[in-house]
Amino acid sequence: MKILIVDDFSTMRRIIKNLLRDLGFTNTVEADDGTTALPILQAGTIDFLVTDWNMPGMTGIELLRAVRADEKLKTIPVLMVTAEAKRDQIIAAAQAGVNGYVVKPFTAVALKEKIEKIFERIDAAK
Amino acid sequence: MSNELGSGLVEFENLVKDGAKGLLDHIETGDFSGAIKIIQELSEARHNSFYNEVGLLTRSLHDAIRDFQIDSVDLVSNGTAHDATKITDASDRLNYVIETTSAAANKTMDMVDKSVPVASQLQSQARELRKDWGRLIQRDLTPQEFRDLYKRIDVFLAEADENATTLHSNLNTILLEQGYQDLTGQVITRVNDLIRDVEVKLVHLVAVAGRVDSISGIEHEENELAHDDTRGHGPAINKQNNPEVLNSQDEVDDLLSSLGF
Repeated sequence: MKILIVDDFSTMRRIIKNLLRDLGFTNTVEADDGTTALPILQAGTIDFLVTDWNMPGMTGIELLRAVRADEKLKTIPVLMVTAEAKRDQIIAAAQAGVNGYVVKPFTAVALKEKIEKIFERIDAAK
Repeated sequence: MSNELGSGLVEFENLVKDGAKGLLDHIETGDFSGAIKIIQELSEARHNSFYNEVGLLTRSLHDAIRDFQIDSVDLVSNGTAHDATKITDASDRLNYVIETTSAAANKTMDMVDKSVPVASQLQSQARELRKDWGRLIQRDLTPQEFRDLYKRIDVFLAEADENATTLHSNLNTILLEQGYQDLTGQVITRVNDLIRDVEVKLVHLVAVAGRVDSISGIEHEENELAHDDTRGHGPAINKQNNPEVLNSQDEVDDLLSSLGF
């Protein structure tokens, strides 16, 4: 299980990376916005995407839409971890096909819960 | 200051009123060259009062920016900050905030990364010893195992002492790192003051620009900027007063589940 973490702040990437490691996900890669994330995704080895919303260049919602529009990438589970908490934005993310939405500041428990829920759904759909 | 800024415009308004009367008089008496002269004078006066107002405003805005000083210049730069414009300076200061908070966060995480294995080691050693200690209480140990346990406890106590000292020192480093809050708080307060100051001048500029518009008869199309959620808004401040912003993960979860998630 290889996870791509996309956030423009290196500290936040590090926090998420450490929490994921505690949850047993040790294979992670990082990108600092959608523009740098897409080529990594297109290389084809990523199984799970964790992304922020507000980033320079390509934002998280644009990245999510790009992933869902790409025939090869569209089934990758996407978890959004962001400070964006407007009702309309959460609805937009849901409509764009997000699999989970965690608002910052978040707890390790919340992150764990959402990731587990996403995997439960994927397993149930199999 | 606002009186000074507005006075030119009041003068100009009076000039228009007087000019209008003179204009009518000239037209009624058939003196068209006199009338055109008045129109030219009014036009000139309009330009002059406009430029005067803009000049005064520019000066007061410039003053506001020049007045912006932060005592602790040496915090961020080598003292050349005085030569830079204060807005550039403010922007440098905010970059300093980003760098300082980032350094503190990384240092804190370094200390956590160093402490976690120490705590794990203490935990696993204690668990191992506790198992054999339990057997000792049950009188389930051979004399050789007892002698072995005796030594291991001595090693463990020495290591526990050392590990606790390491943890103590790491926690202290984390504590001291929180000093960034004080330093960045001071910088942000200063930048905030500059913004408030500039805002007051800008509001004044808008007010005067409005008066200039009303005198010159210029009308602007009102076009409200479209709200673009795509770019994001950053963390919501004052969430409680904004019904559009959700306050917690629970509210986000409720919204998502209402959407069939």
